[in-house]
Amino acid sequence: MEIDVRNLHPLEIRLLRHVSPGEAVTAQRLIDELDYKIGQCNQAFSWLTAKGFLEETDRKFRTLFELTELGQQQLGIGTPAQRIFNLLKTKGPASLPEIAEALALEKSDVGSAFGMLSKSGACRMGEGNKAEAVTSEAPAEVMIAAKVLEKASVEALDESALDEEERNFVAKNSKKRGAAGSPLKIIEREEVFFALTDAGANAKAALLAANITGEELGSVTTSMLSSGSWKQASFRPYSLNTPPARLIPGRRNPYGSYLQWVKDKLCSLGFEEFDGPLVENEFWNGDALFMPQFHSARDIHDVYYVKNPSHAKQIEEPYLSQVAQTHENGWSTGSRGWRYSFDHEFTRRQVMRSQGTVLSAKTLPHAKVPGKYFGVARCFRYDQVDATHGADFYQTEGIVLGEDVNLKTLLGLLKMFAEEVAGAEEVKYVPGYFPFTEPSIEVHIKHPVLGWFELGGSGIFRPEVTKALGIDVPVLAWGLGIDRMALMHLGLNDLRELFTPDIESVRMRRGN
Amino acid sequence: MPKIEVQENLFNSLLGTPYTDEQLEAVFPVAKAELDGHDVVEKLYKIELNDTNRPDLWSAAGVARQLVSYRDKTIARYDFFSTAEEELDSEGRRLVVHESAALVRPFSIGFAATGKVVDEDILLNLIQSQEKLCNNFGRKRKTIAMGVYRSDMITYPVHFEGADPDKAHFVPLHMDEDLTLREICAKHPKGLEYGPIVADKPVFPFLYDDANEVLSFPPVINSARIGAVEVGDEHLFFEFSGTGLDDLLLAASIVACDCSDMGFTILPVRCEFPYDTDYGREITVPYYFQQPAACDLAFLRKMLGDALSGEQVVEALLHMGVFALVDEKMVYITVPEYRNDFLHPVDIVEDVMIGHGLENFAPELPNDSTVGRITGEETFARKVKEIMVGLGFQEMMYNYLGSKREYIDNMHVDGSDYIQIANPMSENYEYVRPSVIPSLLESESVSGHAVYPHQIFEVGKVAFLDDTDNSGTTTRNYLGFLGASSDMGFNQLSSQISTLFYFLNREYVMQEIADPRFIDGRCGKLVSKGVEVGIFGEVHPAVLESWGITMPTVACEIDLDLLK
Repeated sequence: MEIDVRNLHPLEIRLLRHVSPGEAVTAQRLIDELDYKIGQCNQAFSWLTAKGFLEETDRKFRTLFELTELGQQQLGIGTPAQRIFNLLKTKGPASLPEIAEALALEKSDVGSAFGMLSKSGACRMGEGNKAEAVTSEAPAEVMIAAKVLEKASVEALDESALDEEERNFVAKNSKKRGAAGSPLKIIEREEVFFALTDAGANAKAALLAANITGEELGSVTTSMLSSGSWKQASFRPYSLNTPPARLIPGRRNPYGSYLQWVKDKLCSLGFEEFDGPLVENEFWNGDALFMPQFHSARDIHDVYYVKNPSHAKQIEEPYLSQVAQTHENGWSTGSRGWRYSFDHEFTRRQVMRSQGTVLSAKTLPHAKVPGKYFGVARCFRYDQVDATHGADFYQTEGIVLGEDVNLKTLLGLLKMFAEEVAGAEEVKYVPGYFPFTEPSIEVHIKHPVLGWFELGGSGIFRPEVTKALGIDVPVLAWGLGIDRMALMHLGLNDLRELFTPDIESVRMRRGN
Repeated sequence: MPKIEVQENLFNSLLGTPYTDEQLEAVFPVAKAELDGHDVVEKLYKIELNDTNRPDLWSAAGVARQLVSYRDKTIARYDFFSTAEEELDSEGRRLVVHESAALVRPFSIGFAATGKVVDEDILLNLIQSQEKLCNNFGRKRKTIAMGVYRSDMITYPVHFEGADPDKAHFVPLHMDEDLTLREICAKHPKGLEYGPIVADKPVFPFLYDDANEVLSFPPVINSARIGAVEVGDEHLFFEFSGTGLDDLLLAASIVACDCSDMGFTILPVRCEFPYDTDYGREITVPYYFQQPAACDLAFLRKMLGDALSGEQVVEALLHMGVFALVDEKMVYITVPEYRNDFLHPVDIVEDVMIGHGLENFAPELPNDSTVGRITGEETFARKVKEIMVGLGFQEMMYNYLGSKREYIDNMHVDGSDYIQIANPMSENYEYVRPSVIPSLLESESVSGHAVYPHQIFEVGKVAFLDDTDNSGTTTRNYLGFLGASSDMGFNQLSSQISTLFYFLNREYVMQEIADPRFIDGRCGKLVSKGVEVGIFGEVHPAVLESWGITMPTVACEIDLDLLK
């Protein structure tokens, strides 16, 4: 197995380089020899055993004794027994209260210490209830205490390393809990022993061969750069396969980006964008498009009415008169009209724009000839909201004006859209029906993914539409089902998703 | 779009030869029809008809007639039509319209049919024709109501009058009770559905025969006796009442042609009016009322972009079942009895297009060179979006309709200048969005699971009342943005606004305001060149509570049309 030792952490590298196969590796050893902190030991052990470079060989429970604050103090000035013996030896006999006062000890501590001294025969209670020293040297117990405290101050005492006298002293002078009144505290510790595995030995060899020391530099710092210290060292290689942390970038909405792409595409094909207000009136929303006022698509169940103001103040002349007469008797458009009495109140009634064609109609009075226009218009329909119907949605529509536009150029335009906007492989045209165009054509395309579907509707505006709005040349009108392609582009199948308020969903969304 | 069901056997016999589904799909565009489905168990075709101006196609006979014409280049001939010049013998069958009808429903016409026993398929077809003609073409019976009766039970003449709704009475179809017309409106399911068409009139339409036997209460319900046509009947009377004579005559012509195609002999009925109509006071129905139509050949060729010869034009129209003649300059057509959709010469152009075959017109690219461009608003919006993305914001896109709860209650505003929908389908879509901020807060309220911080924006439209405009409303392009996180606050928002304005190269000052949507003393308006262009601040905890948001939130909104 090839071992990639470059991915090892410096703590792992230094451990591997330091220990040899067969040696016991313990936390204490790393602390002593490599100056690791206990936490670093645990990290190194956990990583290296996970990699199979170290294995646990044994674990032992040890009882240790370490100095308490009181023990530290006694180490400096001596134990109470030692101090009492020294006092009596130098200052002569004294009563126990006098001793307590002179040494600033609790009476009870003086009592118990003197008890030990007299029991060992080093002191006794003399005349006048005054204590006095008997021997010239302090008793063995006092010497042992001093020795134990001395040793414990260097490192915690391991019970297994104590002789019997020492163990006796320790037993009397240590506690596990509430050790403040004792010079020693009992600590129980589990010690784990590790050893290099064969793989660990191989890793060690690889490290040595690659001359990786674990002293390589981590992050590049400004001080490193300004001092030039990096020149004396090498950089630690980082793991390339660590899962990167997630970033939340600022980002466009992919549906918006798609619509922008469509707009740019249409611009590149020579179309100029139009736009308009969301609130329309029946005149522009239907009448100007030669939809009779009794047309079924103008029913209260198809269009949203505005509550207040319910009617526009006025409709632009001469278009109102021309459109009204066209409905009634054809005016001078060459049509016989719908033959009904045009309702001038109804035509001012305000609605939420229900079709993008409204903007095409409104563009006509001031359109350039020749001219090409388009708009991506938010429209509103009185529909039950579901996967295929939104309360409001975008329609992409436009017109082409020109002396020479005709059915064949309409087909050519549709072919261009099919290929340029939808990436269609095949195009099929069938007669369609729209109230405002005649002839009307539907274009169906064979999409590489979706198969055959209706890309859009189109036609040549009826003269009843164009002439009444002051245009004397033929006008091609077209609409494209962009939302369907947007859904496919985004990998969605529910129109409601295009306008979702869910932030995470939009953040994660990608276009194809 | 009307959708019809057509019985396979009946359809095949009308077509003469059966078609496979593929053949039907290939030829259906001629009738602007689509095959929606073919139920082979029930032997039923489901067909969708796209042309709302061709009610003659909304039946088995109608679709078959168009397909046969196209296939055989034949014109369906019908010999039972009277014209202004020639009135056929109605053999004593009369329908008399009384003066009182003018008060409620001025026209009623009819004809009779015989010589064929009504079977299941025919009955279903007649019911479907009635429904399509009256609902789709007759605006839910408002302008056309059609009734079918047992002709052999009728004593001619039939009378149509405006009757006293509380006196005229009969036993309606599907009921046992004798009810007055007004009671029918209150009790009969059809009365509840169609009664409102006449409810406010002083008299109600009433159709009865010379023996005072009731035929029906148009447009509501037939009688249980004469009006109960069943399988096995052989003699039928059709009546059409409504508000416009042309539509009624067309509907009668369509049904008469359909019946003729299905094997009936059509018997004319003389309809007599007490007032003048476009076609006189006496009209023998079926009646050919259509005017001849014509189209300039040069116009036709210009529209199609193709120099079709006169013969090609005539042949194309023959494919459509339309008889045509040409001279050097014009094509003249005889409008088929069952059609009345030639309003303008362009309608002839379309029939020529379909009859000639759309596949025979080669696509050409328009030659005119034009300059493409996006609007100034779009250009500015793109600049704004680019800066917002650079500031770390995610672009969102929202619906423009919402509820009172979202736009008013949750925002702690009165909404007095908001646009309300008069006929909302649900309270969820009752108001037009007056501001982007409620949309952004809705996002925040449903996105507690998304990793913080949240920084979102939208450039979109809002609309609200504005008396200075002709519509009393205004639609504006707005930028709205929102930040939410545990350490989001005024300072960060202030920096973002400053950066935005710097790169838009616009000056601004902040001025203190009081706004219930924001915390007092931590919000303000943005004023640029002396005009208030926006508002910003820390969203008020009361607003956050209404939305169920527990993260500190800041928001800003700018009118880009004012800033542009």
